[in-house]
Amino acid sequence: MAKRIRLEKRVVAESDRLAKELSDRFNRAGVFVANLMSSPGAGKTTLLEETARRLGAELRLAVIEGDLATDRDARRIQAAGIPCRQINTGGGCHLSARQILDALADFDLGGLDVLFIENVGNLVCPAEFDLGEHRRVVVSSTPEGDDKPVKYPIAFHHADCVVLNKIDLLAATNFSLEAFRRYVKGLKPRIPILELSCRTGEGVEQWLVWVRAERRAVAAKVARAAR
Amino acid sequence: MHEVALANAVGRQVASEMQRHPGRRLVALDLVVGVWSGADPESLEFAIGLVLAESPWPQAKVRTRREPLAMACRGCGGEFEVEDLDLVCPSCGGLDLEAVRGRELRLESLEIE
Repeated sequence: MAKRIRLEKRVVAESDRLAKELSDRFNRAGVFVANLMSSPGAGKTTLLEETARRLGAELRLAVIEGDLATDRDARRIQAAGIPCRQINTGGGCHLSARQILDALADFDLGGLDVLFIENVGNLVCPAEFDLGEHRRVVVSSTPEGDDKPVKYPIAFHHADCVVLNKIDLLAATNFSLEAFRRYVKGLKPRIPILELSCRTGEGVEQWLVWVRAERRAVAAKVARAAR
Repeated sequence: MHEVALANAVGRQVASEMQRHPGRRLVALDLVVGVWSGADPESLEFAIGLVLAESPWPQAKVRTRREPLAMACRGCGGEFEVEDLDLVCPSCGGLDLEAVRGRELRLESLEIE
């Protein structure tokens, strides 16, 4: 006789469990972790290079790089003076909590202030997988068009900060800042939108201000929870 | 895009549940695929079919049900289903919304005999 068994189980339950383990480790070590997502070519690596140059003397930074292939990005980050571990996902469209756990073997977490996870260039899949991070950052750029937020709403809705890169190219595109801001705020009204250019350096300071402030906010929250 | 990884996770959950029902056969499994789960039901059914083909229950059926996206408004506390990504609260016009349904991919139930 046929029988129905109700489960109501999240398919990514195992991944969620590993993400919780990561989050606990990050909090115990007192390291602030930000997960950066974007489509390929928006400028995640360039933003991190710039961050390394400007913040490297003040905070102990490290990066985990996710790409399908090559260690090109890791070499760029290392050349900017901070430790970086490359994960090659093969065909994988996102970084998984398991991959981050494995990569942590190469880091002394307690000796770090900030860990950036640069996810695989893809605005779809990375949004589905929690990596135990404290903050999610979506990097967008002007040549991609101002309608990215409405075309990839999940990534933007679950972000804590949107970086709009390549504003130096605004005049060369038909990108509307007004439309982009409206689309982002429609998905998440209170999210900060940091408009900057990693190439000219314009606006990068507000990104550094955000990183410092969020790191302090997370540290205070973790300290309160431990009391 | 990662439906194969999700299908493998489903396969592990099914196998682990079936261990609790020795001597039984898996007839079908039911999945709820949220509109914002990031998974495509057709690709998922296909990928799970491949996983099941290698399992003790190659004939088991995969049924998927689409779950619409529902948002809760932080302004007025109301809940509403979202169509065409019109992310405005119909009661109060509020924009500060949180996805409460339609985010998940869930293994809802198994049918065994």
